[in-house]
Amino acid sequence: MDPTRETVMIRELARTSSSARRRPRRGLGLVAVAGALATVVGVAPAAARQAQADTLVIDRGMDINSLDPARAYCDTCQIFMTAVYETLVGLAPDNTTLVPRLATSWESNAAQTTFTFHLDPKATFADGKPVTSADVKFSWERLKGLAGSASYMVSTIQAIDASDPHTVVVTLTQPNSAFLAQTNGSYLGIVEQSVAAANGATADPTTDKAEPWFLAHSAGSGPFVLESYEPGNELRFRRNDAYWGTKPAFAEVVIKETPQAVTQRQQLEQGEADIAMQLSADVASGMAGPDVSVQKVPSYNFVYLALSPGAAGGEGLTPQVRQAIRLALDYHGLVDVTVGGAGRPQASPIPNGFAGTDGLAEPTQDVAKAKELLSAAGVTNLTLDATFPSLNVYGVDFSTAMQKVQADLQAVGITLKLNPVEISVWADKIGKDGIPVTMLYFAPDFTDSSQYVQYFGLTTGSQWQSWSKAPANTQEADQLSKAFAEPDPARRAAVYHQLATMMIDDQVIIPVVNPDLFLAARSDIQGMHYSVCCNLDLARLSRG
Amino acid sequence: MNAAIAPTVEPTAARRTSRSARHRPAWRRGAALAGLVVLGVWIVIALTLPWWSPHGPRDVVGPRLRPPGRHAWMGTDALGRDVLIRTLWGARTSLPVAVIVIAGAVLLGCLIGAVAGAAGGLTDAVLMRLVDITMAFPPVLLAMAITASRGPGIGNALMAMVLVWWPIYARLLRSQIVAVRHREFVESATAVGASPLLTLRRYILPMSFTPVLVNASMDLGQVVMLTAALSFIGLGARPPSPEWGAMITEGATNFYQWWIALCPGLAIVTVVLACNFVGDALRDTFDVRDTFE
Repeated sequence: MDPTRETVMIRELARTSSSARRRPRRGLGLVAVAGALATVVGVAPAAARQAQADTLVIDRGMDINSLDPARAYCDTCQIFMTAVYETLVGLAPDNTTLVPRLATSWESNAAQTTFTFHLDPKATFADGKPVTSADVKFSWERLKGLAGSASYMVSTIQAIDASDPHTVVVTLTQPNSAFLAQTNGSYLGIVEQSVAAANGATADPTTDKAEPWFLAHSAGSGPFVLESYEPGNELRFRRNDAYWGTKPAFAEVVIKETPQAVTQRQQLEQGEADIAMQLSADVASGMAGPDVSVQKVPSYNFVYLALSPGAAGGEGLTPQVRQAIRLALDYHGLVDVTVGGAGRPQASPIPNGFAGTDGLAEPTQDVAKAKELLSAAGVTNLTLDATFPSLNVYGVDFSTAMQKVQADLQAVGITLKLNPVEISVWADKIGKDGIPVTMLYFAPDFTDSSQYVQYFGLTTGSQWQSWSKAPANTQEADQLSKAFAEPDPARRAAVYHQLATMMIDDQVIIPVVNPDLFLAARSDIQGMHYSVCCNLDLARLSRG
Repeated sequence: MNAAIAPTVEPTAARRTSRSARHRPAWRRGAALAGLVVLGVWIVIALTLPWWSPHGPRDVVGPRLRPPGRHAWMGTDALGRDVLIRTLWGARTSLPVAVIVIAGAVLLGCLIGAVAGAAGGLTDAVLMRLVDITMAFPPVLLAMAITASRGPGIGNALMAMVLVWWPIYARLLRSQIVAVRHREFVESATAVGASPLLTLRRYILPMSFTPVLVNASMDLGQVVMLTAALSFIGLGARPPSPEWGAMITEGATNFYQWWIALCPGLAIVTVVLACNFVGDALRDTFDVRDTFE
């Protein structure tokens, strides 16, 4: 519970007791004092229990880069955005079906170039003002204009018509059958224009000054509002008491910065936390007892090795060498070493289960062929810098994983110089000179496979084309356009299958492990659910 | 002439030493012996390991996270490597690093301390203020800051530790020099025409080195601990180096596999204790406390 609240309560009760002491008859005064003390002793714990019941505590290693809706892009940001800023379209618990959220209905033209959303007239922001099409236009134009990491999701938007306050008409630069799926991505949450603009928000990165304001305030229509954020300590939400939909069960939610899986487990077992979200298989394996429940669910998250032939020092990463590296890796050994077998190898940068991955062959180790390729390429004693962020994500300790990769590559004559660094140092380095060999992770932003092509494919200007400095693959851009133009899901999946094969052949992104997710919670917590778009929806949670 | 001056001092020191050693309690003599034996064993292991180690520190010897048993006496780590073998190989990093750091700090510190003590005046004041400034920072934080600014790695950690440690020796040597430079034998040497450099080398430094040596022997263990601390927070040895601090980090990640951190932890404890015991014994032998007083 919040200790400050308990202190205030006790002070109030103490005031009651002191007024009782002022009564004229001493005996009665003593009785009153005793009664008041009994009240303090008896009521305070009851109130404490009530407050504790109303507060949800989540242990997580937070990777927050920003709380500005147009800049935020991280796993914890997905939870934050879903709780505070609502999207037009939601995702049902089956992780497939699109459901109404701010929009009650939607339609598109046959060419998939114009999408019309009808807003729910009941929808209001936390300050009671209605959510209008102007807010949608402002939010999405700002997301695109500030060109943050999530802006690729709105890159195809050409114009947004907000002439009717309850109707949003979006015109795209090209057909995009994935656009509806993109709109359920948490990063497309809607911000209240008047509040954000009053605090310096614009769609122009040179004039926008709202980021500091968003670190302490929020302007959304979601079931929670931002109470406070202390980097490295906690992210605190307060229930939006004016929420226009079904109000969430918890009055307060606190995400506590707890990077170590072991600490998460201990705090959960001791009752200091209600949910632990990042347990590794090894840490979760010993958990048992009536107070704690652990669910193991397949996830769409993955950890990958990235090879950058254009990075400084990466000149030796020719296509043959990259293929040799791919063949040298012991994939099942990596799954075993990193997550104790609680996961699986992944063939392409499109994760298992997404459209286009059916029938893709699981990657296999072939040391002899890898050596043969290296020999044919005339490569001997190749040494590569392998700077990677010192992280433990989805239960995967990057240091352990990279040591296994190093051992596998050593067997074919490639030496990796491992250099674990802080994520900020890593980001700085990859943005400047690039890094020949590195490791990173990815969680889906929405439910369509296009995000993986846009992020990992070598289409011009994609994130990894930019980081790896590898030559652009124009075929991938053409295929992506084809997938966007294809309204039929089955035929679109076939195009994604081709794209997955192309990305495998690029040999730039090599998935290492697709880990299972361990969702651990106190037994009385209900509504635990892993969401593809949103990670964990706080509004669904309650205490039973 | 010079030889005639020196003996007037040395017998006194020798008498003090023997008297002090005689009165040392038996348990302290035992501790010193144990310290010497433990340190000796670690040095022998570090020097000879490549000739008798059944496998290398990076070799996978069995299933991962296996508890101690016949196959691996202290169990295996997350990659299936033998924890005991890695701990033994770790001595080949931690001990040389400690020796190099102490040697570097003694060399640099003594040089600066000697200059300050011998020159006196403004030079002394400036150099001692530099010492004060350096010592004003908590050593661990200063070492972390230097390593972090130059980038993680055992080489940078080593350099950072030298920069943290030298002021102790500078101050120590300078105080020794100041204490003896007005003694009769030094003034006699100067009076008979010995140059300042010769006086410093022949008559002052030999009298000042004993406390430095004693301090160095005790600091050896502290350096082992700081090296491990820097590696523990990711600023020291790079993976897959079997450095003790880095191994304890792996143990923290795999908290419920207690054997991963226990083995390198015990290695650090034994080396630090051994260095302290040996340092105590040296201090008693040379009766350095009298000199400090």
